[in-house]
Amino acid sequence: MKRTILALLACGGLALAQVTYERLLRADREPGQWMTYSGSYRGWRHSALAEINRENVEKLRVAWVYQMPVTERIEATPLVVDGILYVSEPPSNVVALDAATGRPYWRYRRSLPAKINTCCGQVNRGVAVAGDRVFVGTVDAHLVALNAKTGAVLWDVPVADRLTGHSLTGAPLIVKDMVIAGVAGGEYGIRGFLDAYDMKTGQRRWRFWTIPEPGQPGSETWKGDAWKQGGGPTWVTGSYDAEQNLIIWGTGNPSPDWNGDVRPGDNLYTDSAIALDADTGKLKWHFQFVPHDVHDWDAVQVPVLVDAEWQGRPRKLVYWAHRCGFFYVLDRTTGQFLLGKPFATQTWADGLDAKGRPIRKPNIDPSPEGVYVWPGVQGATNWYSPSYSPLTRLFYLTAWENKGLYRKGAAEYIPGNRYIGSVPEIDLPDDPGHGAIRAINPQNGERMWEYKLHTKPWSGVLSTAGQLVFGSTGGWIDREKTQMESYFFALDAETGREKWKINLGGTMSSNPISFEAGGKQMIAMPAGGGIFTFSLP
Amino acid sequence: MRLCLLLLAAAALAAQQRNPHNTPADAAAGAKIYRSHCADCHGIKGEGGKGPNLSTGVYYHGSSDEALFRTVTDGIPGTPMPGQFFSADQIWQVVAHLRAIARTGSHSAPNGNARQGRSLFRSKGCSGCHMVQGEGGINGPNLNFIGSQRPVEFLRQSILEPGAHVAREYWPAEVVLENGASHKGFVMNEDTYYVQMLTAGKGLVTLPRKDFRKLEVRKDSIMPSYQGKLSGEELTDLIAYLWTLQRARSN
Repeated sequence: MKRTILALLACGGLALAQVTYERLLRADREPGQWMTYSGSYRGWRHSALAEINRENVEKLRVAWVYQMPVTERIEATPLVVDGILYVSEPPSNVVALDAATGRPYWRYRRSLPAKINTCCGQVNRGVAVAGDRVFVGTVDAHLVALNAKTGAVLWDVPVADRLTGHSLTGAPLIVKDMVIAGVAGGEYGIRGFLDAYDMKTGQRRWRFWTIPEPGQPGSETWKGDAWKQGGGPTWVTGSYDAEQNLIIWGTGNPSPDWNGDVRPGDNLYTDSAIALDADTGKLKWHFQFVPHDVHDWDAVQVPVLVDAEWQGRPRKLVYWAHRCGFFYVLDRTTGQFLLGKPFATQTWADGLDAKGRPIRKPNIDPSPEGVYVWPGVQGATNWYSPSYSPLTRLFYLTAWENKGLYRKGAAEYIPGNRYIGSVPEIDLPDDPGHGAIRAINPQNGERMWEYKLHTKPWSGVLSTAGQLVFGSTGGWIDREKTQMESYFFALDAETGREKWKINLGGTMSSNPISFEAGGKQMIAMPAGGGIFTFSLP
Repeated sequence: MRLCLLLLAAAALAAQQRNPHNTPADAAAGAKIYRSHCADCHGIKGEGGKGPNLSTGVYYHGSSDEALFRTVTDGIPGTPMPGQFFSADQIWQVVAHLRAIARTGSHSAPNGNARQGRSLFRSKGCSGCHMVQGEGGINGPNLNFIGSQRPVEFLRQSILEPGAHVAREYWPAEVVLENGASHKGFVMNEDTYYVQMLTAGKGLVTLPRKDFRKLEVRKDSIMPSYQGKLSGEELTDLIAYLWTLQRARSN
């Protein structure tokens, strides 16, 4: 009966053939779709589909594979709307596939200039869909609107200058009639921002600078002209609290990354959660996880928005597992710090004070000789997505246990060049560290279970109503065979016990999703050069 | 047509760029970058490691300033050598440092009788474990191109103190399974669920971790030291032979 209702809803969607704002707001009513980066505005990466569950998941098998004609890493989360799967191909192309068979309808190919300034590969984390349009950010720092039926370009606007190290790699987010787009370039000394564009015309509605200019609130946390190259990029898709009309987004590292000499002060609003009024882009609140960061611990994680009991009363919360190794709970109305607890080994802070500010240990800053600190430069987690299940009320994430050797070097700002101040070492040969999938109780930050991995994954997790958590092993930084594995697996969401796994044989650096196609629940995960989908026989 | 090509080649030669950043200060700046970005694979003194020995001044992908600039900038596709993202000035400084490194090494043949060394390689047991051009064993690294990969001093040390530098894939390992079965050999690969080994008894095996009683890996070499087992002359000859095992160079 439930299936029939879902099917009817899906048909209703087909008849509309339009992704309206109302559909996005009520994404939980259409579990057969995956309409935004995280599957809903709340950032849960949770599927309410339960056809695949812990009793039958062992029968899961490959449904279809779509191979991309690319050699670059796939970091995209596909979207699925009304039977069509939209996904970006690196560097900045888009394809539309039949979600049941994986057969392509159209491809948008972007011709790119020779000189592209991306720190870590010419990658793209996905598209946004609204109305009859598909939106993609490009590595040459444009935002492009495509016709969803043909891939034809509707508008193409420059967001920033690629020659000064700007690029767009994150998936845009639709809010009302706007496309919200973040920018990358934290290794090039950009001045970060978050933009809103009119869906129809491509005209910019607002821009929030993540680095305030002199005179603005927060500018007192900078010295001299450092703010002009202050960093604070916004390259991972945030969440949206419709009730409070707040866009909640994470910001990246200050520039230069590992040498903070030119930027004494807290360096607002880098490494922060920011909450913006969706209509004006005005800052409502912020919470800075790492003031004056010199370890490249971006806050580029998906904010997980949950309404829950907190110490006896209902409260609007944000759950955030940050790259620095702490799990945070914040009040979503004010940004007030409520809880912070390490979810992985860290050696840089003696805890957090009452306001959530880290109490730093001595001798943790990068030095010319190098300093060992946990977590390493890629953090205790990174940009790949966490998940929240309303059934278990647990927060799931991919965690790294690793140290890094942080060196400090000179950093000179030359437009379009790296502005970083040395490169720390990770994947240390004698102590490469390992990864794990962990379940955290958000009420107290306690670890409920872990599934230990030999390698450090670059992929996020998906929870489902089938009481499953899907995740990956992996690694791509060191392509030496011993550092790499590529299993995709399903765990029991309550116990962490392994239920199913398959070796997909390629770099995994993305996030799984679930949707319905051809009357079946599907699970999709990019690996190597392809998107693999799975269903029951 | 031929003449045209020759002329073009001559023009290209004339246009070859020489390093504009060649002062000792440049080399010192390049050394800093080298230490943080190159030494992990090529050794702190350029003696080689995961990557080739850089101390000879002769490079497989071209030895001109321009060729080195290109290799450092773009990397070498199909190998673990990545491109580096420095400014042109900084890349030139790295090239200046490479020249300084090259002055420490030598590309001329070491003393010794390579022909004699070749027969020692067989009679003293080296070929029991090391393969050269298809002949020899597989319990030690293939030495097809060892002469271009490692400097002479490194070769000498490896013969006399085999445990000084051992690649991780040659660390001796033993797995004992729950059923008591033991597998000795080298770990070729491993992941969350399995360990792949090259074993003496069964060749290539994949063993499931869930059945492990223990996995022991010693950061050591199974090679015996040849200290006292070779005369000084024999050692020199053997090294002279190993040095001849060079990779052919492209332009």
